[in-house]
Amino acid sequence: MNKILFAVSIVVLLVSYAAAGDKKPVKPGAHDKCPVCGMFVAKYPDFLAQIIFKDGSYAMFDGPKDMFKYYLNMKAYNPSKKTADIDSVYVTDYYSLTPVDGLKAYYVIGSDVYGPMGRELIPFGKEADAKEFMKDHKGKTIVTFNKVTAVMLKELE
Amino acid sequence: MKQIEAQRNILDFTLSSLFRRKGKNTALVLVYTLIVFLLASVMFFTHAIRNEAALTLKDAPEMVVQKLMAGRQDLMPLEYLEKIRAVRGVSSVKGRLWGYYFDPYFGVNYTLMVPGNEQIKPGTIVTGEGISKNRAVEQGDFQAFRAYNNNTLLFQITRVLSSESALLTSDLILMSEQDFRSIFGMPRTHVTDIVLTVKNPRELGTIANKIVQLLPDTRPIMRDEILRTYDSVFNWRGGLLIVILSVSVFCFVIFAWDKASGLGAEERREIGILKAIGWETSDIILMKFWEGVVVSLSAFLLGILLAYAHIFFFSSLLFGPVMKGWSVLYPEFRLVPFIDAYQISTLFFLTVLPYTVATIIPSWRAATIDPDLIMRS
Repeated sequence: MNKILFAVSIVVLLVSYAAAGDKKPVKPGAHDKCPVCGMFVAKYPDFLAQIIFKDGSYAMFDGPKDMFKYYLNMKAYNPSKKTADIDSVYVTDYYSLTPVDGLKAYYVIGSDVYGPMGRELIPFGKEADAKEFMKDHKGKTIVTFNKVTAVMLKELE
Repeated sequence: MKQIEAQRNILDFTLSSLFRRKGKNTALVLVYTLIVFLLASVMFFTHAIRNEAALTLKDAPEMVVQKLMAGRQDLMPLEYLEKIRAVRGVSSVKGRLWGYYFDPYFGVNYTLMVPGNEQIKPGTIVTGEGISKNRAVEQGDFQAFRAYNNNTLLFQITRVLSSESALLTSDLILMSEQDFRSIFGMPRTHVTDIVLTVKNPRELGTIANKIVQLLPDTRPIMRDEILRTYDSVFNWRGGLLIVILSVSVFCFVIFAWDKASGLGAEERREIGILKAIGWETSDIILMKFWEGVVVSLSAFLLGILLAYAHIFFFSSLLFGPVMKGWSVLYPEFRLVPFIDAYQISTLFFLTVLPYTVATIIPSWRAATIDPDLIMRS
């Protein structure tokens, strides 16, 4: 009985681990280009965003805005991949400048902080950080990954 | 190939003609060398000083926070550390302990500091090179310091710092926190000031504002501001040298003008004769060009070498009056040799080029006149 329980728990653990996305963030190389705007990514590490697919391939962006454009319109940017192929998403936390899980991050819209592509969704790992940033930098709203829409991105242009 | 041969022949002739008027040309090269020497010295000196400042600031913290009392810097209570740590975007906060100690026997100020990154055993110190030279002490020797309460404290020197930049560490003494506090009588609840590191440089302004709002009796100083202060201090010294620089540039202009305004009768005669024996105008200009190049380039190279030796080997002997007042602790102030292509090319364009051009124009004028007229006059 105990053995079965152990095996089941192992399986559950593995599955949940995989579901959370276990691929580590990738360091941008000198030749990595943003598939949306075509800029070299390595020059802008402070706003770096990346989508890592299950097969190990990845897409790098010079800001979360371009990442969302790509994500919401994958058919146009990368027809060979589907949303389901995504393993993990990483964005760069504004305060710590370290990669955080993009799926769970909080994004502040409408702030006075500009990225390499102009107005941005500024990502934070913690909601409290996002709230304080919004106060300090005249942000309008905080959104989570799934709440970002094409209309919102249009407004940031 | 024939072209090169022709150039070589003309250069050959130029050299022998220069050699013929040995006295005059040696004097010319000497004056020229002196001017290049002055210009180069000033330039090397100001650049080396800037470089020294850059070295100082390479590891400077992004922000320093001081507590103020009646507009003067005051001791920073440790509670402030925690308050500042809580500000969003601040990645680390450290209290620093440092101060000045006046040594009445030698009449100099030392900078006493507790290093943040290494532990120093109580009772021992690490001193800068300047101090060890000044007091004639070495590793293993004991040094006495008089504390605030008239106690005499003895410290053993465990190491003498030898840094790539003398400016940074010459007057520095590193000691343990415990010893530092017992020399100055600084309470355990306070530090001298606070240094912050901030990951995202965009947040520096916001963080500084928040700190001032949170703790109105503090003053955050950003690295840019420290940089500007250093820059103005070094610029002030550079400014004095600019006066020397402008004088030497002025000399050079007079010198070049004198050269450009006309040739001597002898030189005009020589040109006339050369034309009469069949030299082309272009050959004569070429000869004068080579003459200018030989004179100015040798003076340029000589001047630069002398200036380099002057600044970096002889501790800017001629600029002594400007250097004094820096600190009494620098009897021998040696700058780190620092030269880049930019300085050399600036000097080149300031000296060699105008001179060469200045010698060509009058000879071109002389070369276009009828040789008969020149030889008769």
